[in-house]
Amino acid sequence: MYFLASCLVRILGRSFPLKKEKKLMIGYDAVTDAAILAGCRFFAGYPITPATEIAERMAEKLPKSGGIFLQMEDELASINSLIGASWAGFKAMTATSGPGLSLMMEGLGYAVLSETPMVIVDVQRVGPSTGMVTYPSQGDVCQVRWGSHGDYSIIAIAPASVQDSFDYTIMAFNYAELYRTPVILLMDEVIAHLREPLIVREDVEIVKRKRPSMPPEEFMPFMPKPGEYVQREMPALGEGYKVIVESTMHDELGYRESESHEVGSRTIARLWNKIEKNVEKIAKEEFYFMEDAEIAVVSYGCPFRSAINAAKTARKEGINVGVVKMITIWPFHDSMIEKLAEKVKAIVVPEMNMSKIVREVARAAKGKAKVLGVPKLAGQMHTPEDILVAIRSVAR
Amino acid sequence: MVRRSPPDFAHYLAKKYMRTEMLPTAFCPGCGLGIIERAIIMAIDELGKDLWERTVFVSGIGCSGWIPVYFKCDVLHTLHGRALPIATAIKVCRPELNVVVTMGDGDSMAIGGNHLIHAARRNIDLTVVVANNMLYSLTGGQVAPTTPQNVYTNTTPYGNFEPNFNLMELMKAAGATYFARWTTWHFVQLKNSIKKAMEHRGFAVVEVVSQCPTYAGRYILGKPDPRDFMEWFKENSVPVEKSKEMSEEELQGKIVVGEFFKRSDRREFAEKVHTLIRAARGDSG
Amino acid sequence: MRVKEIKISEDLCKGCYLCVWACPREVLKISKERNRRGIRPPFPAHLDKCIVCRLCEYRCPDFAIQVITDEDERMLEGIRSEELRWYDRIRRRDELLEKHGVWWLR
Repeated sequence: MYFLASCLVRILGRSFPLKKEKKLMIGYDAVTDAAILAGCRFFAGYPITPATEIAERMAEKLPKSGGIFLQMEDELASINSLIGASWAGFKAMTATSGPGLSLMMEGLGYAVLSETPMVIVDVQRVGPSTGMVTYPSQGDVCQVRWGSHGDYSIIAIAPASVQDSFDYTIMAFNYAELYRTPVILLMDEVIAHLREPLIVREDVEIVKRKRPSMPPEEFMPFMPKPGEYVQREMPALGEGYKVIVESTMHDELGYRESESHEVGSRTIARLWNKIEKNVEKIAKEEFYFMEDAEIAVVSYGCPFRSAINAAKTARKEGINVGVVKMITIWPFHDSMIEKLAEKVKAIVVPEMNMSKIVREVARAAKGKAKVLGVPKLAGQMHTPEDILVAIRSVAR
Repeated sequence: MVRRSPPDFAHYLAKKYMRTEMLPTAFCPGCGLGIIERAIIMAIDELGKDLWERTVFVSGIGCSGWIPVYFKCDVLHTLHGRALPIATAIKVCRPELNVVVTMGDGDSMAIGGNHLIHAARRNIDLTVVVANNMLYSLTGGQVAPTTPQNVYTNTTPYGNFEPNFNLMELMKAAGATYFARWTTWHFVQLKNSIKKAMEHRGFAVVEVVSQCPTYAGRYILGKPDPRDFMEWFKENSVPVEKSKEMSEEELQGKIVVGEFFKRSDRREFAEKVHTLIRAARGDSG
Repeated sequence: MRVKEIKISEDLCKGCYLCVWACPREVLKISKERNRRGIRPPFPAHLDKCIVCRLCEYRCPDFAIQVITDEDERMLEGIRSEELRWYDRIRRRDELLEKHGVWWLR
């Protein structure tokens, strides 16, 4: 009884807003509403199943809020126009799916190196290649982290419900501004097309873009304050700051330094550390029934919904199972998984792919608990039974 | 490497409009891109100081991508071929800015060809300066969509067998509303055309046939001296009016220069977007 | 307008001699000595012949040459302090990194 009550408190606890409005909403609508609430005023996209509806909704809603919608000629143009819009002072977003995301990887690298805030919604479908366009998948979780070339770190967030889609879109925009980085919202086809009750909160915290406080000749566009990792202040173009938004390796002032190992290491390390050293601040997860759990199901996105059901059934069978919902997938929360591995004897990781995050979990668990992946392929969602079978096998 | 103290001397325009801390430029001796830099700076200088404050430069990759990074201005040195989508977004978001895009021939016609066509189709108010050196030079002299026939390059060791692009025809068909072509030898005409392109409301392209003494000099001209290139431009350029009376054979190997077209019958894109937004919000003004 | 001198930057000139080629009055000549950057720079051999047409300036890709008249001198003086402010920014960055070390590497 206790665990159920604690679960209820957790769920209800985070949805007691000052002002609330409850409505029935579909996933992509929640994303677009939240984006506009978060201050998104520029959207560029290219039609791709199953992400097209986000573009359609934005095309309708954005002009009414004074925002700009552009349907570009391809995904390369989409992500690059986001960089232009973001430096022009707009909060910007795009939505795509696997093949489009692959095309965006080049631009993603530029956004990372030029420290451009933006949100990329990836509504995952089955791959590789064109794959199965109308079915869900979690096949892009590693692509967003490792897909672009060179060393970089990134923030990726995975919603598991329509409410999550709304809340985490706002979170994504806030993280993009706080860490001056592209943030990826890793949806999947099921969540995007799911209709659920949604509590639209008006009292959400929205991080505004910080304007430079110094005159142009003193302002250092990429230089964090002593002790910090991120230069939060970002000028817009045409304000007299004369910034160089370089795709080549550059120093803290923006000057091209493509031949200095020293400056290059400094810049790469800063981009890496601003995310990886802030992992405790960035990483978010929710714990369900974890107080007395012997087995943990670590999940994100869609499979979380089956995992909760599986855990309840397992508890009826006398197996103490808890569920961890990873909200942020990247940066990977190593310390959380390690602590978890010390507490439980086994970790089950259901994923709608051939096993991707389970490798990260196994790495972070450092052998302190048994780690078992539950892959599910070709657009199928895990049934609670799928996860139960895995739970039972590790419980023995 | 950024300088820690100013160079012993630099031209007045460089001191006023360029980041002298980044000079000398990365270009080879005698490169035409420096002349294009000067033409752009002088064009804006002549149009008034406040225009420089409102100008944003966007460039792609290639030697041509380095043209604006030396400018004391807002500059986006972007990815190979992707300058135009970025410039499109900037212009749509901030229509009051003067957005100038510099690209090379490979940058604009090969890897960024699709973006070029679509930017022209939209007729967005950008000034695009295409530096055409008829070769990929930053990577060491490979064939480009503009390389003349039968030329030997590093990737056409048996001679170039690929037909090339005529940027003017391409832009005309795609819907650009201003097009001029000059060589670096036609400095004053080039500067005046860039001025006109900036004042023009619509997609304006200025193609500059520019010398690359290092690679084009070696492979196309056979002489790696910028002075020979200048002579070659002088002798082989034909004004557009004169070219109309010439036959196809007579025009072989010639560079047709001049102002090709200027249209005012197409509406500008950013203006359309903002009219739509005003209508969607219910503002009549 | 009368020419006072023709200034050629030792730091910027790369020795392409487009200025020498462009001059219609053969004012400029190529020096026999190499400078500290290994370049044989052009120099104004017949300054008296200069007619301030500035063709050498237009052809110079490196902003390294300028025909100086009284007016040019005034203009160059006027922008020097503004130019130096950007160098101050680089100096301040270097000082910060020296004082604190590269703090984001820790």
